[in-house]
Amino acid sequence: MTPRIAATGLGVRFDFDRQQRVVSPTLRRLRRRGTTTWGLRDVDLNVQGGEGVALIGPSGSGKTSLLRAIAGILPADAGTLAVDGRVGSMLAVEGGLFGALTGRENARSLGVLAGLGTDAARSIAGELGERARLGAAFDRPVATYSEGMRARLGFAIAESARPEVLVLDEIFEALDHEYRRVVEEHARALRAEGGIVVVAGHDHEALGRICERAVALHAGRIVADGPFAEIVEAYRGGV
Amino acid sequence: MSVRGPRPHTLRRSRDVLLALAGSDFRVRYGRGPLRIVKWLLDPVAALGVYLLLVALVLDRPGRAPGLSIACAVVPFQLVMMTAVNALRCIESRRTILLNLAIPRGLLPLASTVTESVAFAAALTMPFVMMIVYGVPLTLSVLWLVPAIAITVMLAAAIAYPAALLGLWLPELSAFFVSVVRALFFLAPGLVAYDTISGEGHRLLPINPLTGLFETYRAALYYGRAPAAWELLVPLGAAAAILAVSVPLFRREQPHLAKIVTGGR
Repeated sequence: MTPRIAATGLGVRFDFDRQQRVVSPTLRRLRRRGTTTWGLRDVDLNVQGGEGVALIGPSGSGKTSLLRAIAGILPADAGTLAVDGRVGSMLAVEGGLFGALTGRENARSLGVLAGLGTDAARSIAGELGERARLGAAFDRPVATYSEGMRARLGFAIAESARPEVLVLDEIFEALDHEYRRVVEEHARALRAEGGIVVVAGHDHEALGRICERAVALHAGRIVADGPFAEIVEAYRGGV
Repeated sequence: MSVRGPRPHTLRRSRDVLLALAGSDFRVRYGRGPLRIVKWLLDPVAALGVYLLLVALVLDRPGRAPGLSIACAVVPFQLVMMTAVNALRCIESRRTILLNLAIPRGLLPLASTVTESVAFAAALTMPFVMMIVYGVPLTLSVLWLVPAIAITVMLAAAIAYPAALLGLWLPELSAFFVSVVRALFFLAPGLVAYDTISGEGHRLLPINPLTGLFETYRAALYYGRAPAAWELLVPLGAAAAILAVSVPLFRREQPHLAKIVTGGR
C-alpha cells in the first residue's frame, strides 16, 4: 500500500464547559452552558508517498492538532481524514516517556505501544539505546535525562516500528546539531523509500532541509499550501 | 462456508499493549531490584493487619479465626478498591502517551485491573497463611476459589470503566467515589461473617454484590463448603450489568480522551 494522507473538510472541535475545561461531546450535551472552539476547520490536505510537508504557523494555529489528527490521536469531528500506511509519531519531547522508568524500560514499553510485538520490543531495546546515543544513561530513570536525551530516545522509539508516515512536532528545538542531522537523514531516507514526513516547528531552516512543501495554518485553517521556500517567505513577510 | 475467528494479530496486539501498560504501571509503583518483591508481598499484609487489629482488639469481636474471616473479605475487596483508585487516574496518568501515540484506549481501565490483579496475587497468599495460623484445614472446597477469583477480577474490571469515566468527567468527585466504594465494604459482611449478622441487615446485605463475593471466599476457605448460588450470581450479575452499561459508554468517549487531556491546547 502506498502511503497517503487525504483530508477533506477536516474539522477538530473542542467543547468547553462553564469552567473552561474541555469536555467530551457526551458531557457537552448534558451540560447546557459552554463554548465551542474549532482547533481545525475545513482543512483540505492531500499528501502522497515520497512527500515531505512542513506545517508552519504561529502557536495555536492548529499545527499540533493536525499532526495529532494524522497520527490518529484526535478524531475528525467534521469532514473526513484517511491515512494509509503505518504511522510513527513524536509529538512532544517527552513522547510518552515515563520519568520513573529507565530508558531501556521505556523503550520496551513504548516500543510495544508504538506497534512492535513484546518480543521484538525487548530484542531491539538495546539497539534503541545505541541509536539514541544514551550510553550508560540508558539504564537510568528517564527523569534524570536532559530534554535532548529524551528527544533522542523518543525519536529512536518512534522510528523503531518502521513507520511509513512519520509525524514530528517541534523536536528540532530540543535536539543538538549532531542528532538533528540523524533525524534529517532518517526523514530524507524515508521519503526516498516512498514514505511521508509531516513535520511542524518554528525552525524553518531545519524544516526546509527535509520538506519541499509547506502548509501554513492560521486559526485552524490552511491559509497557504505550496513550495516550501515560497510559503515560508510569504509567512515571514506576513508575521 | 468458512468461519472466521477474531484476527489473531489483533488479539495479540491487545494483549501486548495491556501487558506493556500494566508492566510500566507496576514498575513505577514497586520500583526495581530485589526489594520490590518484599514491597509487593508486604502491601496486602498491611491492609489486612489494620482490619484485624480493628476487629480483634478495638471492637473486641474476634469470633472464630477472625484473621481468616477478615482475609476472605479484605483480599477480594483490595482488588476492587485498588482497581477503582487506579482507574480513576488511568487517563490522566497516561496523558503523555495519549498525546503521542494512537494506542487502543479502550484497554486503559483494563490495564488498571491487570496491574492490581498482580498485586492481588500476592494478597491471595494471606488467607492461606491465616488457615495455617488458626489451624483451619484445607478442603476440596478450595476449588471454589477459581470462580471466586474470576468473579473478583470481573467485578474489579466492571468498576474500572465507570471509575475511569468519572476520573475523566468529574475528577473533583474522585475522593467521593473512593468513599462510596469503601462504604460498600462496610455495608457488606467484611469485618464479620454474614451468618453472625441478624435482623434487617441479614435480609438486605445480599443486595450488595460484595456480600456474595466475600461469602464465596469464606465458603471455600473458612467454612469448607460450596458457596450458595446467590453468593456467586449476585456479584457476577452486578459485574455483567456494570460492564454492559459502562464499556459502550467508554468506547464512545475514548476517541475524545486525548482532546480532553490536552485541555484544548
